[in-house]
Amino acid sequence: MPRAITLENLAKSYVVPVREAGVRAGVVSLFKRKTRKVEAVKEVSLSLEAGEIVGFLGPNGAGKTTTLKMLSGLLHPSAGSVTVLGHEPWRRENEFLRQITLVMGQRNQLIWDIPVLDSFDRNRVIYRLSRAEYRERVDDLTDLLELGHLLNKPVRNLSLGERMKCEVAAALLHHPRILFLDEPTLGLDVSMQRRLRSFIARYNKNTGASVLLTSHYMADVEALCPRVVVIHHGEILFDGKLAELIKRFSAQKTLVLEVDEDSGDLSRFGEVVSSEGGRVTLRVPKRDTAEVTARILRELTVHDLNVADPPIEEIIDQVFSGRMS
Amino acid sequence: MNTLRLLGVFLRIGLLGETQYRANFVIQLFETGLSMATALGAVWVVFSQTETLGGWRSAELTALIGVYFIVLGAINVVVAPSLQKFMEGIVNGNFDYTLTKPADAQLLASLSEVRIWRLADVGLGFAALGIAIVRQSAEVGWGDAAKFSLALFTGGVVVYSFWIMLATLAFWFIRVENILQIFWAMYTAARWPVGIYPGWLKWTLTVIVPVAFAVTVPAEAVSGRVSNGTLLGAAVLAVLLAAFSRWFWKTGIKRYAGASS
Amino acid sequence: MRSWLQVYPAFLRTALLSSIQYRASGAIWMIGSILEPLIYLTVWSTVARSQGGEVGGYTAQEFAAYYAILLLVNHLTFTWIMHEFQYRIQYGSLSFALLRPVHPIHADIAENIAFKAVQLVVILPGLILLCVAFRPHFEPVGWSLALFVPVLFFGFLLRFLIEWTLALGAFWTTRVTAMNQIYFSLLMFLSGRVAPISLLPLWVSDIAQNLPFYYAIGFPVELALGRLSPEAAMRGVLIQLVWLAVSGVGISLIWRRATKRFTAVGS
Repeated sequence: MPRAITLENLAKSYVVPVREAGVRAGVVSLFKRKTRKVEAVKEVSLSLEAGEIVGFLGPNGAGKTTTLKMLSGLLHPSAGSVTVLGHEPWRRENEFLRQITLVMGQRNQLIWDIPVLDSFDRNRVIYRLSRAEYRERVDDLTDLLELGHLLNKPVRNLSLGERMKCEVAAALLHHPRILFLDEPTLGLDVSMQRRLRSFIARYNKNTGASVLLTSHYMADVEALCPRVVVIHHGEILFDGKLAELIKRFSAQKTLVLEVDEDSGDLSRFGEVVSSEGGRVTLRVPKRDTAEVTARILRELTVHDLNVADPPIEEIIDQVFSGRMS
Repeated sequence: MNTLRLLGVFLRIGLLGETQYRANFVIQLFETGLSMATALGAVWVVFSQTETLGGWRSAELTALIGVYFIVLGAINVVVAPSLQKFMEGIVNGNFDYTLTKPADAQLLASLSEVRIWRLADVGLGFAALGIAIVRQSAEVGWGDAAKFSLALFTGGVVVYSFWIMLATLAFWFIRVENILQIFWAMYTAARWPVGIYPGWLKWTLTVIVPVAFAVTVPAEAVSGRVSNGTLLGAAVLAVLLAAFSRWFWKTGIKRYAGASS
Repeated sequence: MRSWLQVYPAFLRTALLSSIQYRASGAIWMIGSILEPLIYLTVWSTVARSQGGEVGGYTAQEFAAYYAILLLVNHLTFTWIMHEFQYRIQYGSLSFALLRPVHPIHADIAENIAFKAVQLVVILPGLILLCVAFRPHFEPVGWSLALFVPVLFFGFLLRFLIEWTLALGAFWTTRVTAMNQIYFSLLMFLSGRVAPISLLPLWVSDIAQNLPFYYAIGFPVELALGRLSPEAAMRGVLIQLVWLAVSGVGISLIWRRATKRFTAVGS
């Protein structure tokens, strides 16, 4: 079965204007424009099977949104090739557009001051759904997303979370085979984030639709994506399972100890992250874990000891800040 | 065809928006009424000092003002608000949604917003036109009415194409937020017959910002002074501008997507 | 007390930077400012020519001089604050302005001056274009031209105060466009933009000479042209100063009530 998505040596660069502060620079800029070339995506190659959920992880400006836009046909690549469902996205053929959908966090496609259902109806016409199909999908999505009482309200009367649910529903009316989600949980409260994630997972399981998600929330990726692609400075740093990422990039372990309060200064064992009462958190290089643990157990009275990976955010942080390769 | 269905659903949606219709309509009547009174007042002041202006008599100038407001209202019902929203969509990124839909982006962008209460302007314009026809010495026959309709239609196509061209500039001049204002700034000149202006301005108003075809020509048709040559010219210009604006728009989309060719 | 004088350099500087940023957008607004006098100039020149060369005491070339100076005077005295105020209230920037220890009008005056300075780049060529196309006839009168300068400044202040006060209407209603339209229509006729007020029917020009609109635009223009007798000029200056005082009092009264309403009701 042909791959759903293939990217080969994909690259994208822009030219941006450059200017300094001050009145003199301001006047100069009236006559002479200084520009600078930005390589948003340097060289990205990857492929996806149908039905996969992939998370693109990276700090702002890493190139993940740019990559997503090239996959959805919004941007024309500067170099390389991209094929989605057998089409070249940048050609924007209607055949292709009918099979994909785009959802952007904090950006609405629903019309502001009319009932949600009327915005849905507009999509029905644009995507040429039969009335029967449309009815069925609306009912289905209303159930899955618990939209019942929201459908007849104008969008401006909905809370941010309710609005996002409706946006997602509107985006799925035409049963797309590929979902492009750009920071979909941005700005939502924790419980809504969780609901949205579980919905996406369920949708993927029910329909076999592929999902490409960009986020800088670790929680999105942890919960949803069996496969993670880490992008930084326009290049792929890692492409694989999240557990692999942790194993590969985490060079440290976290030790949480419960010792007597008068055990003294523990910095001789490792970096002390926190120390409250008898509860001490230490950061220790991975390869020294066994040795340090043995020393601690020998020299101190330990009531409890726990060895764990540092929080994933920290690992990612360190990957991005280049403290590891 | 699906385009018609799209048109239908957009109009219906536009009508659903803005819940305070009646209030908007009344306020619009007041504002436009005042604006029209100002325009007519200026004509009155001029005709207190003379009998004709560049060959146009008072009633014919009234007709001109009527057409001016008919066209102004028509533009403001759909074209202006939709293209304004389109330009904002380029700045805030919402245009991406339009591009990922399997329907023509120009169509979607041109129909996205409807301000139905601007029909008040169209109504007032027709009222002024009606008064002018009554006051005018020449009879308006079916031939004149047909020419008027044709002139208005071709004028409409010319104006719409021009607006698309202006809006397309947004792909290059993202930060010039009031590009569309170029049309309105030049449009004020259409309150007077384009023939009175110095050559270079007349040319600008005919070819560069084509308000002459939108207002003066239909008004000439009402007073029976439009030549078939002018009407033919208008039709030709309409076809050319429509084709060019469509090409320009497509080029703009390519630019937005960062296509290098 | 002197704090507002001290802040002007800083206000002017930031306003200048902003204006340079939006130079293209600004230039587009200026098209209308240049076109309007051009249009009326054409209309009245056409009338003059059809009436044997002169109408109401103006020849075509004298109309050209009138409208050329009007272009400049209108540019130097106009404001746009009425369009912005409602926006400010809605989007909260007014709250910031109220928290500063300086009256918000000063920032607006600085912004106004900076914008006009930058847009002279567009206005002056427009003026030259008008002169080249219409060949104005200009016979300056020494004392009249000298008086023009302070009168222009007072005219600027007068118009600014009136329009700023009008903008405050946004505190009481969201339908400010209707109010603004009334003002604009009156301004067009009574300030001398549609026609020099001496061409208006007698009863209208009488009214115009007692209202402030003329003293912001038409009066300075006629002074620059040297068309007023010393008595008329003196009388005009007096009326202008009276209206200036009235606006000053008016604005402080209304501002106090506006802030009271704003802080009571919220945005």
